[in-house]
Amino acid sequence: MSDVFDPISLEIYWSRLISIADESAAALLRTAFSTVVRESNDFTTVLMDADCNCLSENTAGIPSFVGMLPSAVRSFLQHIPREEWRPGDCIITNDPEIGSGHLPDITMAAPIFYKDRLVGFSGSIAHLPDIGGAGWAGDCRELVEEGLRLMPVKFISEGRENTYVTQLLRHNVRAPDQVIGDIYAQVSAQRVCAAGVRQFLEDTGMDDLVLLSAELRARAEAAMRKAIVALPDGSWTSSVRADGFDADETFINCRLTIRGSDLEIDFEGTSPQINRGINSVLKYTTAYATYPIKCALDPESPRNEGSFQPVSVKAPVGSILNPIFPAPVAARQLTGHLLTGAIYGCLAQVVPELVVAESGSAPTLRTVFGGRTRDGQAFNQVLFASGGLGASSRMDGYGCTAFPSNTGAGSIEVLESVSPLLVRHKELAQDSGGAGRFRGGLGQDVVLDIQSDSPVNISLLSDRHKYPPQGLLGGRPGSKSIVALSDGTRLHPKSRSVLQPGETLHIHFPGGGGFGPPADRDPAAIKRDIEFGYVSQDAAEKLYGVRNDR
Amino acid sequence: MGCEMTANLRVRIGVDVGGTFTDLVLVDDRRGVIYTGKQLTTHQDPSQAICEGIARIVRESGLTIDQVDGIVHGTTLVTNTLIERNGSRVGLVTTKGFRDVLEVGHEMRYDLYDLFMEKPEPLVPRPLRLTVTERMSAKGEVLEPLDEEEVLAAARQLVEAGVDAIAVSFLNAFANPSHETRAAELIAGAYPDIPVTTSVGVAPEIREYERTCTAAANAYVLPQMRRYIKVLRQKLQDLGFRGTLSVMLSNGGTAALGVAEDAPIQMIESGPAAGAISGAHYAGLSDTDHAVAFDMGGTTAKMCLIEKGQPEHSQTFEAGRVRRFRQGSGIPLKVPVIDLIEIGAGGGSIARLDRMGLLKVGPDSASSEPGPVCYRKGGENPTVTDADLMLGYLSPEYFLGGELELDTGAVEAALKRKLADDAGLETIESAAGIHAVVNNNMAAATRRYIAEKGRDPRKYTLIATGGAGPVHAYGLAKELKISRLIIPFGAGVSSALGFLLAAPAVNDVRSQIVLLDQATPEVAAGLYGQMRENAVAQLTAAGANRHEVTMKSSVDIRYRGQGFDIEVELPGDFLEADFRAGLKARFEEKYELLFGRHITDVPIEIVSWRLTASCPRPEIKLQFEGRQIDRREARKGTRRVHFGQSGFVEAQVYNRYGLTAGTTFKGPAVIEERESTAVVGPDATVSVDQHLNLIVDIQDTRGDLV
Repeated sequence: MSDVFDPISLEIYWSRLISIADESAAALLRTAFSTVVRESNDFTTVLMDADCNCLSENTAGIPSFVGMLPSAVRSFLQHIPREEWRPGDCIITNDPEIGSGHLPDITMAAPIFYKDRLVGFSGSIAHLPDIGGAGWAGDCRELVEEGLRLMPVKFISEGRENTYVTQLLRHNVRAPDQVIGDIYAQVSAQRVCAAGVRQFLEDTGMDDLVLLSAELRARAEAAMRKAIVALPDGSWTSSVRADGFDADETFINCRLTIRGSDLEIDFEGTSPQINRGINSVLKYTTAYATYPIKCALDPESPRNEGSFQPVSVKAPVGSILNPIFPAPVAARQLTGHLLTGAIYGCLAQVVPELVVAESGSAPTLRTVFGGRTRDGQAFNQVLFASGGLGASSRMDGYGCTAFPSNTGAGSIEVLESVSPLLVRHKELAQDSGGAGRFRGGLGQDVVLDIQSDSPVNISLLSDRHKYPPQGLLGGRPGSKSIVALSDGTRLHPKSRSVLQPGETLHIHFPGGGGFGPPADRDPAAIKRDIEFGYVSQDAAEKLYGVRNDR
Repeated sequence: MGCEMTANLRVRIGVDVGGTFTDLVLVDDRRGVIYTGKQLTTHQDPSQAICEGIARIVRESGLTIDQVDGIVHGTTLVTNTLIERNGSRVGLVTTKGFRDVLEVGHEMRYDLYDLFMEKPEPLVPRPLRLTVTERMSAKGEVLEPLDEEEVLAAARQLVEAGVDAIAVSFLNAFANPSHETRAAELIAGAYPDIPVTTSVGVAPEIREYERTCTAAANAYVLPQMRRYIKVLRQKLQDLGFRGTLSVMLSNGGTAALGVAEDAPIQMIESGPAAGAISGAHYAGLSDTDHAVAFDMGGTTAKMCLIEKGQPEHSQTFEAGRVRRFRQGSGIPLKVPVIDLIEIGAGGGSIARLDRMGLLKVGPDSASSEPGPVCYRKGGENPTVTDADLMLGYLSPEYFLGGELELDTGAVEAALKRKLADDAGLETIESAAGIHAVVNNNMAAATRRYIAEKGRDPRKYTLIATGGAGPVHAYGLAKELKISRLIIPFGAGVSSALGFLLAAPAVNDVRSQIVLLDQATPEVAAGLYGQMRENAVAQLTAAGANRHEVTMKSSVDIRYRGQGFDIEVELPGDFLEADFRAGLKARFEEKYELLFGRHITDVPIEIVSWRLTASCPRPEIKLQFEGRQIDRREARKGTRRVHFGQSGFVEAQVYNRYGLTAGTTFKGPAVIEERESTAVVGPDATVSVDQHLNLIVDIQDTRGDLV
């Protein structure tokens, strides 16, 4: 490591860079229009050096976004050469391959100039409320059906809006004010980030971020290598089964290999891509394969590009984890979120104490509603809610907690104030957590009435209807997803449906998998589970062999 | 204590019950003197230390207890109860289908990478959360009537389960509280001994999680607070106190004791709020329009913006964080608080090298036990205070006025053993590093806090209080590019003093979404009529005279569909004249300030309507001559002090008690007083103003770091 920075200056500089990313995120959050960003946190900001290496990220971002921004900006540079980037530019795309794996996310980057030199990039990704086409739907057969696609283009050129792009967006999306408002929230974030970096350079007397970036990456890489080298060399495999689309069930095969301080993840043998929107582009696959590694092995160090130098990810071309363009990809999270389970399935064989069982919140279960309220206003709302966290070697999983994504749940009162949805019930679901020495976190049941005068469109983006989240080391699986009408009719888990006024929808968000054999569970914990209603008396008898002595 | 009475009050005492010390300040306006006192807090029965302290300070001031007109009281009891989780057994009655609002929360992880993070336990465990049939729409229409039988049955079940307090929180109650009110009546009728908190009673705002948390937290601390106040009132009466006892609230105002008995959650930040009020007072004394009140103690540092003599307010506060200072790891409350930030940076903050070999300082603190290494009470980990000693900022002989001798040798050994050797640094470099890192932590937090308001730190003046505040203020100011620093006389008691500077105040709010176009004076009158009446009633109950009450009204306003609202003040005549155009202009102006642009084609809507009713702040002439001023020679010699840019330099040491108004001198200098030490570098000029405050002007505002 270099002699330029000592542990003091490096700490000060690094925390300052993290702080800049956080200030940028705060600006985005406060100026955002849609509930997607403001209530559920579906965005990220990242600060990069002039070579597009990530230097810092906002503190509570979306793991996949963080992982994808740097390579997105590298792709930007292939479309718009470095010389053409000017102060005040903001460049955007929603191309799945360049950006974040599906069309609804806008990836934005802006150059940071200091003393007339390009010294870095600010970047952000945010999930827009709409991008035209089919809306956010998993059942399209072609990418073009999934919405409008913008290749990298200057949304703002030297401080001035590119009105052609604005008009193009405005006339091709469903909620133009919200969409444009959210993109401008990203613009605000870029400006805050750039101003922060310039001030930082002025304060420290540095001319650019080159040396600092190299040092920070070296430190992060060293921390990750130290964590990997502590594990024995070897190779482990695991497999995760998923619902896929109709008859096309999918599976993920994973081989994790450790050699010295290098870790390789290979998805050879994974299902071929399918012609529905659950394909995950390689970038997204890589982001969600590396993220769980960081959580398990090196959760403490601040993350940057160096953290993942020792980790390589491979997926066969033409598979659901590396599809050939232009595969439909809108619901790529339904595949990408499963990778945590596959990777922890491998690591559990060597370091079970560092991982968690599969979560009911992986993949996310999303219901997108659209239509008109009783007073004629158009509405488009996503019900954000999560299943339960998988159990671990030290504790029960938390109920209703997002993982590996980190989208929050909005307020039901806010949802009801902007839509004709009336939520009748939203409670933890008894017996949904997988039994085990430690129990999987409970999922939840949501029941809601459609109270509009006209039909409401719903798009479901869900999995786990056939294959529940698995337990580890003898832990039992969590519950399966259910989405049904009051008469018991199941809705298609990955398609669009129409709900009539007065209809009632029941959604079950699965619980997480258990950890360790149920027989090893502390009787006091079982007693508490029954008292709290987390586990029914019947289930306790069946799963834990507890006699009904009430 | 009321507004009009304030002017006539002659003797008042402020009492701040803290975790370690109970601080007291007595102000006698007639004689123009101030007395201060410190008493170890008696945790079993805090009123013991209060009464002993009061008896002592009254005696020392040459008065008798019956001459004391008012006592203003604040306590960390509420906030500590939520941190330590030793409050009451609370039952929650809520809407059918929503039993788990408290437990499910935001469904997010506050730490992106920690798979084993600790989440806060809900304040009400699941068996004590019961649901009843009732339902309001988001617009406040009754969709299902309240089932009164079920309310009574739920209350019975909770009482049988041994609850001490009950919270009632119904969905959409912010839009129509009638079901909550009725349920509370029913429960109170059946169980008059069980206190009932309704969610709208403490937080009448949209968002069920935060509102329910606030109701539950209030119920959680309420029985203890009532018992405590009862005992205190009795003991003060026994002592012979015949004046008015009032309390300090988190909003920076004071209130009659009744508020603490019904809504104790409003006292959660009373100490920090008082500190901010006192910062505002010092800003006013020196005609400073833009100030950052900076208070650094043993464990935490607090920063609060003071604009034109007023601290700003916020409506949210996160209590009981399970990971200290980590946003998202606590319980989000909707309560009116002074808007300030608190971070884990204090004299006791521990320094260490992390996994990557970087120097980290805090948030862990050595606190008073075992304390920093230099106290020689068993502390082994180097702290900020230890570093300050090594750098010459603190005197080994004159710490706490000489009551505690500090051991420099032990610090040197600990720094070497724990940090310097592993980091490949000289011992003194590691000490300078600790000082720089903690300053940077505070600067980063302050910068973020100021930036979030769209403002520029450079135009602010830093007002430093607390034991460690004056030690670090110079370095912090340079980090923030602040060129002026004020170090008040008697900075150590500034929080308790704030209790006596605060005025009675009431905050209220109504959540109702109204498009700006439709916001007529009539609509506003409908919303404000009741709020204004209630506020005046509360303040007059506290002894205020009706015509002295000032009302400030503001709205939370936003572009329709946008998540973030901005608080904008309403004009004084908004109940009579059309205010729409003016409000729009002010909103757009503020929006531009924050975000650099405004939007033209999106309708604007008002989300919440707020009222602040208050009395004028009491005027106190702080004449510290009443204290024992040491008139000996101000100069105490010199010592070597380390500064980031210049290394060790010889600095003049001054005795603060010997510095008279009008004195000026140049840095580098150390100014010692009993509770704290101020340190300024070579580029600073110090002048002593008429109030004996140090005004420090810094020439070179480049960061001192590294």
